[in-house]
Amino acid sequence: MTTDNSSRDLFPGALEMMILESLRRQPAHGFALVHHIQQRSNQLLQVEEGSLYPALQRLLKEKLVKAEWTISPSTNRRVRVYEITRAGRSHLEREISRFDRMLEGVALVLGPGRLTAD
Amino acid sequence: MSWFRQIFRRRGIYDDLAEELDEHLEEKTEQIMRAERVTRSEALVAARKAFGNQTVIEQRSREVWQWPSLESIWADTRFALRQVRKAPGFALTIVLLLGMGIGSVTAVFSLVDAVLLRPVPYPSPSSLVIPWNIPPAGIDIGGYAEIPWNPIQFRALEQETKTYRSIGAFQGGNFNLTGSGDPAMLEGAHVSWGFFPALGVEPEQGRFFTREEDSIGHEREVILSDALWRDRFHADSSILNRAIDLNGAPYTVVGIMPAGFAFPRANEMPGDFTFPAETELWVPLALPAVTPMFTPSELAVVGRLKPGLSLAEAQAAMDVFARRMDREMPAAKGWSGSRVTALQKQVAGDSLKPLVLMLSAVALVLLIVCFNVAGLLLTRSFTRQREFTVRAALGAGRLRVLRQLLTESLLLALARGVAGGVVALAGVRIVKVFGPKTLPRLIEAGVDLRVFAFAFAITLLTGILFGLMPALGAARTNLVESLKESGQKSAAGATHPRLRSAFVVAQVALALVLVIASGLLVRTFYHLLAADAGFRPEHVLTFEISLPSTKYPDRGTIARFYQQALPLLRSIPGVESAGITEAIPMGGATESTGIRIVGRAARKGDRPPIVNYTVISPGLFASLGTPILRGREVLDSDVLSAPPVTVINRALARQYWPNEDPIGKQILVPSQRIPATIVGIVADIKHSSLREVPGPEMFEPYTQNVWPSLALIQVVVRTRSEPAAVIEDTRKVIRQIDSGIPLAKVSTLLTLTSTAMAGERFSMLLVSSFGILAVLLAAVGLYGVISYSVAQRTREIGIRVALGAQRGDVFRMIIGYGLGLSGPGILIGIVAALGMGRILTSFLYGVSASDPLTFFSVSALLAVIAVGASLFPAHRAASINPVEALRME
Repeated sequence: MTTDNSSRDLFPGALEMMILESLRRQPAHGFALVHHIQQRSNQLLQVEEGSLYPALQRLLKEKLVKAEWTISPSTNRRVRVYEITRAGRSHLEREISRFDRMLEGVALVLGPGRLTAD
Repeated sequence: MSWFRQIFRRRGIYDDLAEELDEHLEEKTEQIMRAERVTRSEALVAARKAFGNQTVIEQRSREVWQWPSLESIWADTRFALRQVRKAPGFALTIVLLLGMGIGSVTAVFSLVDAVLLRPVPYPSPSSLVIPWNIPPAGIDIGGYAEIPWNPIQFRALEQETKTYRSIGAFQGGNFNLTGSGDPAMLEGAHVSWGFFPALGVEPEQGRFFTREEDSIGHEREVILSDALWRDRFHADSSILNRAIDLNGAPYTVVGIMPAGFAFPRANEMPGDFTFPAETELWVPLALPAVTPMFTPSELAVVGRLKPGLSLAEAQAAMDVFARRMDREMPAAKGWSGSRVTALQKQVAGDSLKPLVLMLSAVALVLLIVCFNVAGLLLTRSFTRQREFTVRAALGAGRLRVLRQLLTESLLLALARGVAGGVVALAGVRIVKVFGPKTLPRLIEAGVDLRVFAFAFAITLLTGILFGLMPALGAARTNLVESLKESGQKSAAGATHPRLRSAFVVAQVALALVLVIASGLLVRTFYHLLAADAGFRPEHVLTFEISLPSTKYPDRGTIARFYQQALPLLRSIPGVESAGITEAIPMGGATESTGIRIVGRAARKGDRPPIVNYTVISPGLFASLGTPILRGREVLDSDVLSAPPVTVINRALARQYWPNEDPIGKQILVPSQRIPATIVGIVADIKHSSLREVPGPEMFEPYTQNVWPSLALIQVVVRTRSEPAAVIEDTRKVIRQIDSGIPLAKVSTLLTLTSTAMAGERFSMLLVSSFGILAVLLAAVGLYGVISYSVAQRTREIGIRVALGAQRGDVFRMIIGYGLGLSGPGILIGIVAALGMGRILTSFLYGVSASDPLTFFSVSALLAVIAVGASLFPAHRAASINPVEALRME
């Protein structure tokens, strides 16, 4: 089975973090999420539907997001809109601070070497 | 949310998911239409491509909600059950075939377990041994390799406390039970006081004999078996410390053994010596304080070795013992050698050979079954190739398909395990009921958990092996290629039929081996029945009587009893003749003695010839139907005061007077002073089995016999019609002379012969039924391959017919294909059967292991069956309509 690769290309939890962050700014349905992440990352990150939907289901199961069928005002079609829950917000904050610390650590390890190499 | 509610909510979740994905795809399509200004269908294709496999996304999203392994296993199981429902015949065939194979293997393994593997049912069985006396090297004492001990030797063995923690002697005996219901003859054993402690058993009630009770004057105690206590004494515990009448003397019941204890049993001991079939009671051996001269060696011995002593160390100690005995008893120098046998091995005895035969036969059947099922599964996997391909194309991962197939085959394996268990239970029951009584410990056989685990292991193994083999093939499937194929002819099609043909060839070969084996055994059986046994078994009643020494203390009183009985027996209406003998044919070995031929100087160092020695009465040969070849039989006039006479058998005559007339020559038996004159020659009588080559034998009239062994005698009555008709009159006649003498072991010579043949019959029936099963399986396998090939070649045959091939040509082509498949199988089978001959030789009689008649007829039979298996497919092929066949593409 090789289908998990896209999410593993980043690190575990990265996709969920981005989804939660996007939803924190604005509730959205799957299609909109793909576009949102793509635009926010300056087209650097391509989110595949194959990863997005399982990730959404995981978040739903852990009650970090909730979903509701509505009619989209812009396209006038039935869409399932995801909204971040309170648990989702605190989870996101924890994850972001953990991510920051990790980034800090990585930078410290890589930093000096990169300076001399430059 | 509780897991319980989650289960019920799940369907809603899945529906949402599916709809959501549909909407997503729709939105994406519209976006592409707008962005790239293409038609809707083009946009849809592009969107699907970008989207990826919707099924996989759905499945993986659903998995988030599942307990992954457990639930997909359940899903797989449901799917597998659906598959079984779709093709119930297929599943049923496989379950029944393998169940049969596994069941028979389990049944046979259960027997092997009970007879050979399971420890004997006594505490610390590994330290129990049976030391046998062995005759000095180079001396033939009538073919016995192991002999019992005499009392002097046993007394010395009892002193070997460095080797044996306890040791006991035992000897079979007959007991007339009177005073409680009809008189009955019971089979029992005389045992020394150390016998029970050596075996390490405990009485269920009461106690064992004390050392004091094991001496003359104190020996009137008896211990009952559980079976006897229940049958004759209504399981009444108050029998303890009461006296029962045995052989006319009161014996106090001191103990009752636990159920199942019946040591010694005849089928657990060497066949040459007489032991009870099931010992019913035990009395003290009570050896005299001083052993008289010429005491026969009749004591078997069981010993429990000191802790930590190995069999080899015990043997070494017994060799030292033999040298000491030689020094102490120079007269019997060389006669105290021994062979120490583990009780476990002793009990298993010769049963290894028939069990190996059974195991080999059943293993062949299982192999055939496996090939058969492998063939079926291969074909099925091939026909299901398209299904696998479609599922793979729809997004099923390879592992997913493999897992699903594995579940399916394990499910079938489970069903096979159950079917196998049922067959095993039935098989063990059948063997217990119909199996030969000579097979020791049959009573202990049962399908126990270990044996069932064995069966289940086979079940799982076959399930995984034959389940995964096609599954691996399926998983390797190239989707595009397979989908392009019409399903009629696939790339895999070339290899699978070849493999299946190989399977069929193997089945035919194995079946041929089994059928040849059963053919040889059937021929053996009929050769044995047809062989001249020296007697005519039809219309002969036989029974045993035992005259108690209290009432018949000497040979005079004993002889008088027979002198009264014989004329009375002959006067019963319907009786043709009557006689008595010490040894009934098919009743076991006779006594033997060394002889000296008068007038023939014994060369120095020569041991005296040893011959069978049987005491008989006038009328015996007529009653047995044994032809008198020359001279006369023994007569009533051959009394003590007349010159002693003897009748010899042809084997003895040929051995010692090859070119002379033995009539008038004289033989001296060492225990007698006057030599006996040979007055007649009779045909050789077989004693233990129809297989044996009769040895030299001499007969002496009971009226001239001085041995005191005549108290136990076999009566032979030849009748004009059914022997059963005279049983009542016979009983009356005996009761008329002495009301305390029961008729024991009432039987017919026909029954005795048939019992002696039980082992042979069992081997023959067992191997034959496996042979029939094998042929059926091979026929099914052949039929499967041929009809499958016909289905595959429908188009080709259609073209042939369209181009002018005659129906007959097509018919012959398919029959030829069937013969072509079975031909190599038959050839390989013949070679294998020739190789197998060596194993089978010891089971055969009057037929060679490479008997051309058997080999030819069995090969022909299998060829006929091959033709038979091809008939129906050939007919179907011949009736193919070319138009329809070509339109099928």
